[in-house]
Amino acid sequence: MAELLIKNGIVFDPINGVKGEKMDICIKDGKVVESVSSEARVIDASGCIVMPGGVDAHTHVAGGKVNAGRLLRPEDGRKGLEPRTGVCRACSGYSVPNTFATGYRYAKMGYTFLMEPAMPPLKARHMHEELMDTPIVDKAGMPLLDNNWMTLQYAKSGDVEKLAAYIAWMINATKGYGVKIVNPGGTEAWGWRKNCGLEDPVPYFDVTPAEIIKALAEANERLSLPHSIHLHANRLGQPGNYETTLKTYDLVKGTKPSRKRQVMHATHVQFHSYGGTNWGNFESKADEIAKYVDQHEHVTIDLGAVMLGDTTTMTADGPMEYNLYLLTGRKWTNCDVELETGSGITPFLYSGKVAVNTIQWAIGMELALLVKDPWKVVLTTDHPNGGPFITYPILISLLMSRKRREEVMKEVHSVINERALLPTIERELDWYEVAVMTRGTPAKILGLHEHGKGHLGVGADADVAIYEISPEETDAGKIQKALLNAKYTIKGGEVVVKDGEVVAVPEGRTFYVDVRYEDEAVWKEMLSDLEKMFKEYYTVSLANYPVQDDYVPKPYVIKAGAAE
Amino acid sequence: MQTITLGIKEKVFEGVARVPVELDGVTPDALCGKSADEIKELKVWWGNRQEKLGDLFDVGVEGSAEKPDDVKIVCKGDFASVKRVGEGMKAGEIIVESDVGMHCGAMMSGGRILVKGNAGCWAGREMRGGELIIEGDADDYLGAAYRGEMTGMTGGRIVVKGSAGDYVGYLCSGGEIVIEGAVGILAGLGMKGGRIVIGGDAEAPGGEMTGGTLVVKGKVVDMLPSFRFEGEEEVEGVKLKKYAGDLAMGKKAKGVLYAP
Repeated sequence: MAELLIKNGIVFDPINGVKGEKMDICIKDGKVVESVSSEARVIDASGCIVMPGGVDAHTHVAGGKVNAGRLLRPEDGRKGLEPRTGVCRACSGYSVPNTFATGYRYAKMGYTFLMEPAMPPLKARHMHEELMDTPIVDKAGMPLLDNNWMTLQYAKSGDVEKLAAYIAWMINATKGYGVKIVNPGGTEAWGWRKNCGLEDPVPYFDVTPAEIIKALAEANERLSLPHSIHLHANRLGQPGNYETTLKTYDLVKGTKPSRKRQVMHATHVQFHSYGGTNWGNFESKADEIAKYVDQHEHVTIDLGAVMLGDTTTMTADGPMEYNLYLLTGRKWTNCDVELETGSGITPFLYSGKVAVNTIQWAIGMELALLVKDPWKVVLTTDHPNGGPFITYPILISLLMSRKRREEVMKEVHSVINERALLPTIERELDWYEVAVMTRGTPAKILGLHEHGKGHLGVGADADVAIYEISPEETDAGKIQKALLNAKYTIKGGEVVVKDGEVVAVPEGRTFYVDVRYEDEAVWKEMLSDLEKMFKEYYTVSLANYPVQDDYVPKPYVIKAGAAE
Repeated sequence: MQTITLGIKEKVFEGVARVPVELDGVTPDALCGKSADEIKELKVWWGNRQEKLGDLFDVGVEGSAEKPDDVKIVCKGDFASVKRVGEGMKAGEIIVESDVGMHCGAMMSGGRILVKGNAGCWAGREMRGGELIIEGDADDYLGAAYRGEMTGMTGGRIVVKGSAGDYVGYLCSGGEIVIEGAVGILAGLGMKGGRIVIGGDAEAPGGEMTGGTLVVKGKVVDMLPSFRFEGEEEVEGVKLKKYAGDLAMGKKAKGVLYAP
């Protein structure tokens, strides 16, 4: 494969401690190397910022739920129409773009790895099929394991060993990456038209969300998975939910990490940082959350920031989506995935004229700015729930420019001065911190930095983003423009974006974890429980359940547990 | 005054498929002040290919104009398979001397379109302003919202001399639609504002309407039971019964339906 030499760029490579130094990056055979021959193709990056390819740790881009969103919203499809080119296929959609648009648009922003965080295990094939059709970027998906009847049973009996065996089986069967938890217990309770707070017993199973979270965290560490549990906490979007959020973080304070990382990644925390008792006195509690995160090592967060505008909300949290639908009166769809999980989808307009939306918009940014250590925060919008991923450049420009924030704050609801903290925050992120939150932190949290993602050290994957902007630039508009259309994006050593246009569309790889559970006796007992479950309740047979290798034509396998 | 003639070439009708040409972007706003040669170079979609306008149409230009208001586009030949004529136009005039394909005058916000024949589905879809006159019949979804959208026509005026198809003014929230003939099912479905006048018969008009005025002068087939009789009134010289509805929408039901 061709050699590449990226010359004279200002490099930000946080994992290797590079904070804006002028240096060259050498690439050979898809990897970063010490040096290249004089034959190497030279890319002149003078006056440009060079970063590792972006890693999105939480973005709903593929699978049944995303596709249901596309079907529900033909009007969203109209918004992003782009005809095919000599290189690209036709694109559609804004908040729920088609798979091709997803790959191209992420690549244009310099992102090269995506984590689909909500794969219903029974629908794993659908997700993998869509990931296959998402060009350029590497990707992975996490199975939803929290409202599953097997999990509920083992959490109830406190049998962490069997739960670990089951998780290992499930991750292998779905070719998944880690343990995703969404409103534990609540989605199952939704089958009874109920929801669950942290200490409310799940109907029939009589186990509390707190017990489920603790058991899954223990089992996750028992298997030594590359990623910790990935948690969408209970009571999402409800006024006063920050207390539940903090209690949830405390649950796993004593859990010992099996690797050098957090034991809980709390996702889209913006939706979990609300004070007040109703929509009338709804307020930001981002400061409480930020304080906790700064004081504790076991929790990391991603923002789930809200960007003002129209989007599609979708989550496995069925009851929450139903409540949102009641609030807006727009259209809504719901799905129940047998004994595993469920989901809901509804369009939503975040309006700066609405007090609650304005506070939500502020909270996402407050979290990014109030948590002192950027190594604990990942920049996301929980695409498309807080806003489409295509709005990342706007979000970053707001975080980098107090001036731009002030301009927008003048336009939005005046409640921002009373019940949000953003007006009091002076901090502006610098390019290094942005690189940490979009590269270093997500890669480390997911355990991908050991597999060549999120950094530019020798041996790393040659995924590079080059933005045409000076590190001294403070104009928010220019920052946004540079980030939206990278000057170059290099994926696996191949130039895929040049001057903001996609020029090559290689297939990306699918990362999955091969995890083994070693205790034969426990494994057999778990299998016998599983066989019973399939025989009695599932609509498919056990033998037909696991995803075949054909669904992952370009695999990258990470070994964990006894397979390591 | 600039008069531009677009004469459709035989080439467009070749083959069995009759692939439609899409004329979005070919509006008085876009063509104002351009020469025939410049107009011929414009790209339009023909199926999945982009072609030069001049390869599919004979282009003639007379006079010149400073502003789009003074531009008239005359479409000659059979335009029944030409879609999106006048889509998004803001000013000026378009005259189609034959039938016209789907989406004629969609999202137009100003100017005037005159269709001397029939118009395909979605004529005046999501219209914001201006005037669309159809001398023949209009097909389904006249002045309607497109798939999934929350709002259809919001302003302007549509006049149909013949009849219209189903879902006239679906989710309409403003403007006026006047149809001299009959319409199909569910005229004014979900309408929130504006005015629709139907000279002929209508089937189940006004379903889910929450605002606006819907007048049916002909016979109503399958009157919906969720309308409340409010008395008799004379509308445009015809004595009609006044109904409030659609009460199936609960408190939001602020629509007015006049029917014989």
